[in-house]
Amino acid sequence: MGTRILTVEDDERIRTAVKMALEDEGWEVEEADTGEEALQAFTRQPADVVLIDIMLPGIDGFDVCRSIRRVSDVPIVMVTARADTHDVVAGLEAGADDYLTKPFAPKELSARIRALLRRARPAEVGVTHLRFGDLEIVPDEGVVLRAGVELHLTKTEFRLLVELASAPGRIFSRESLLEKIWSYGYFGDGRLVDVHVRRLRMKVELDPANPRHVITVRGLGYKLQP
Amino acid sequence: MNSVNPEIRPVQARTRPRRRTRIIVPVRRRFGLRTRLTVTFALGAAVLSSLLSAITFGLTRENLTAQRERSAVERAAVDAARIPAQLPEVPTRLEIEQLLRDIPLTDGAAAALEYRGRWYTTDTQSFGIDAVPLSVQSDVEAGDAIKLHASVNGKSSLILGVPVPALPGGYFEAVPITDLQRTLDRLALTLFIASLLTTAGGGLVGYWASRRVFAPLLDVGTAAEAIAGGRLDTRLPVGGDSDLDLIANPFNEMAQALEDRIDRDARFASEVSHELRSPLMTIAATVEVLENTRDELPERAQTALSLLAADVDRLQQLVEDLLEISRFDVGAIKLHLEDVRAAEMIIQAVRVLGGGGVPVRFEPEVGEVMVRVDKRRFGRVIANLLDNAERYAGGATAITIERIEERLRVSVEDRGNGVPIEERDIIFDRFSRGAEGGNRSNDSGVGLGLALVDEHVRLHGGRVWVDDRFDGEIGARFVVELPIIEPPADSVSDSLIEPVNLV
Repeated sequence: MGTRILTVEDDERIRTAVKMALEDEGWEVEEADTGEEALQAFTRQPADVVLIDIMLPGIDGFDVCRSIRRVSDVPIVMVTARADTHDVVAGLEAGADDYLTKPFAPKELSARIRALLRRARPAEVGVTHLRFGDLEIVPDEGVVLRAGVELHLTKTEFRLLVELASAPGRIFSRESLLEKIWSYGYFGDGRLVDVHVRRLRMKVELDPANPRHVITVRGLGYKLQP
Repeated sequence: MNSVNPEIRPVQARTRPRRRTRIIVPVRRRFGLRTRLTVTFALGAAVLSSLLSAITFGLTRENLTAQRERSAVERAAVDAARIPAQLPEVPTRLEIEQLLRDIPLTDGAAAALEYRGRWYTTDTQSFGIDAVPLSVQSDVEAGDAIKLHASVNGKSSLILGVPVPALPGGYFEAVPITDLQRTLDRLALTLFIASLLTTAGGGLVGYWASRRVFAPLLDVGTAAEAIAGGRLDTRLPVGGDSDLDLIANPFNEMAQALEDRIDRDARFASEVSHELRSPLMTIAATVEVLENTRDELPERAQTALSLLAADVDRLQQLVEDLLEISRFDVGAIKLHLEDVRAAEMIIQAVRVLGGGGVPVRFEPEVGEVMVRVDKRRFGRVIANLLDNAERYAGGATAITIERIEERLRVSVEDRGNGVPIEERDIIFDRFSRGAEGGNRSNDSGVGLGLALVDEHVRLHGGRVWVDDRFDGEIGARFVVELPIIEPPADSVSDSLIEPVNLV
């Protein structure tokens, strides 16, 4: 069975056209035209990737995203018609891994999905066990423990943590993180990194307002404090 | 007729179209309100203090003089009354002069007696018979007491004449009043200085008062500036001073109206954005599906598909540009500013655009220069400039980055026909393509590229213009100038660039 993509989009013509284009790329596509239907479909059979349009009738894309996030770490791509507003940040904070702005080329979407799925299989770091104070990372098993308790990170968050942990104390620029985690080039959106770091902190830090591990280096990037 | 034909206007520098004629409240005077207030206060103080000084001086002088004269007159009368009793029956000149010398006179005063047509005096040098006119002498002898001001021995003096009817004769005294004059001079000087100080004080009070009055107005100015700078939620405090509320309330209403209107426009642009993007999304996806089956299509359909695909791209670009421009117009652009190395960013921009053939030149030290930009928007600036060169001049030949003091200059050169001087301003206007671009049938641009460059650069605090090539040959050079920022002190050099010519 191929990789299944659940697309949530209320505009029937867009939905059909995108489905056709994605099927041409070799993906298996399941459609939903409302948030409710999407959640039912996901509960019935979880997809490998979820594509959510933010502007939906009924429960909106953010809510769909949050609902799915509560039960799954599946890669989620948000689709927005407005790239420069707070929609992007709100979508990322609702748990999306990446976003695209309409109109996008389906080939670009395919590339994004491939990047997300690729990084959903971690363990490229040769170390089997990393420990930072009360924080414990097992890259091969995709597990993070704080004081012995397992934390639920999405795959992107996990990948980000492992990347930072690969060289503790080294400063990673936004650009390099965008390239390594999202396969974006120099002009990728730095907000992806910023919001994911914020989300990561909410989970791994005891006091997210005064982070002890994931540190911002002003004007330069981020680092993991050993 | 020498009236100017209204059709013929001088070539205008770039101006923004205004919807309505501006209403400008005329400025009344050449000097500022504060200067005028200060000067008015100072003048008022000057007039008042001068008047008071003059009155004080006049009264004092009159008082002092009158007092002095009265005492002198009384004294002279007493002296005169004592003369007849002390004078022998037939006095000699010496006896008379001795008698006069015995009279207790004030310092510097002189006495004289006119007796039987002869003049006896204590001071022949300065108080001789010439000191008092003959007519006065006879008036005194006739019984009139007189006083007159005259100069005796070069000193301003009061001359008193008292009749001595027992002789008969006249007694005269010359009392110098220079000390009085000195006192009055000192008083005048003191009053003058006091007036000057009062004037200066008045000016200071005026300056202080004008500042006090102006402070709220300056607040209004600061608030207006903040609003103009995009801080639309700026308001003036209300409720402190009922007089100032007369300004603050309408100002706040204006600000609110402006904010509402911009909000509405921004919402509208956002709605339009969504409405336009949805059909474009369908079209873009459909075209891609068709492209996937291109080989199965008949030749005519393939040609049609190529045309469709090209214009879908163009339409997408146009919609993007229009939306971006409308965001500028409603001030809805939110820059995502980052501090980046300018050279690195420009090299990356050239790379992303596939313009690998365009060399980027800069001195090694320029490689570390930082600018604060919205990377993606500035990437568009470079993209649009390269695109413009591609479209009208056969492609850019070089990008040069220089540091000119605290500013960074990025020059994009081409070897096209250049831009005539008169078009160098209007080329940045919307939908203006200059004479060069107007007649290109296969032109895929929509004439917003350079307008967007201009808007973006200005939003970044820089400017853009067209110049001649560095080497003076035919072609154009588009120059973008940006302010540079100081790099963080602990900057780590993990840059991707080598500071050499990158081809």
